[in-house]
Amino acid sequence: MPPPEPGLPLDWPESLRAADNGAAIVVLRTHLAVRLRVALSDRTDVSEAQIEDFVQESILRVLSQLDRYAGRSRFLTWATSVAINVAFTELRKKRWQDVSLDALVEAGRHLTEEPLAEEAPSGGDEERTRLLESLREAIALHLTERQRAAIAGELQGLPFDQVVSLLGTNRNAAYKLLHDARLALRRHLIAGGTSAETIRTVFAP
Amino acid sequence: MNPLSPQQVRDLARFVALTRDRELNCSECRDAAGELAERRLAGLPLDTTLERVEHHLQLCPECTEEFRALERVLREST
Ligand SMILES: [Zn+2]
Repeated sequence: MPPPEPGLPLDWPESLRAADNGAAIVVLRTHLAVRLRVALSDRTDVSEAQIEDFVQESILRVLSQLDRYAGRSRFLTWATSVAINVAFTELRKKRWQDVSLDALVEAGRHLTEEPLAEEAPSGGDEERTRLLESLREAIALHLTERQRAAIAGELQGLPFDQVVSLLGTNRNAAYKLLHDARLALRRHLIAGGTSAETIRTVFAP
Repeated sequence: MNPLSPQQVRDLARFVALTRDRELNCSECRDAAGELAERRLAGLPLDTTLERVEHHLQLCPECTEEFRALERVLREST
């Protein structure tokens, strides 16, 4: 490993925790600015001013979350993952669609009403067609209205934060809602006599 | 909102097939994503925690999008 550049803090988390962390923040800012530009280099919808905002916000986030850094990666790698999350979360907000909770609930209800259709199911895919019908049945039988709405939003590509916001909950609770829903659906298929292995082979080849 | 497209039906089926009793959530995934990216880049083996991060990535398009961006940064910084 090359020797550290002069002025580069050797112990990142500690130098950022210190009362006189000004110099460490300057170095962190420089690195995050370069790295975020690389992370966003294939996006044409991001302005220079936005990148500056993301860097500023990322520094605040890194400082407030220092305790989450467990030392299992390089510190800069961890800080970069925080910065990427800050930037992408913000950019996803632009993709928020004009959807109401009612519309989401309605979309969730659709999941139970019509067959879960795929393009031209081939003759050999009877097992898959049967499992998809069983899945539709399970969505109707075992999921709550909120779970159906969350699944519909997730599948239709709504940013997860928008689903969370429409449901009036938080990310962890919404993730649990979805996770519980997936487990309930899988249990239904297994209770119907299909092994976990077959479900995997058919649905996740 | 529209009915599900064939691709979305496939996604639903895949999520149901891959789900596990214990899964990481997004913030747990993010906590360890840096280590996963570094070890993959270096071709090092993954422990159980990192294998669970990979599992979360299979189920979460947003974490996957961020992980790819992180991998790109690491590739271009070495
Ligand atoms: Zn995630």
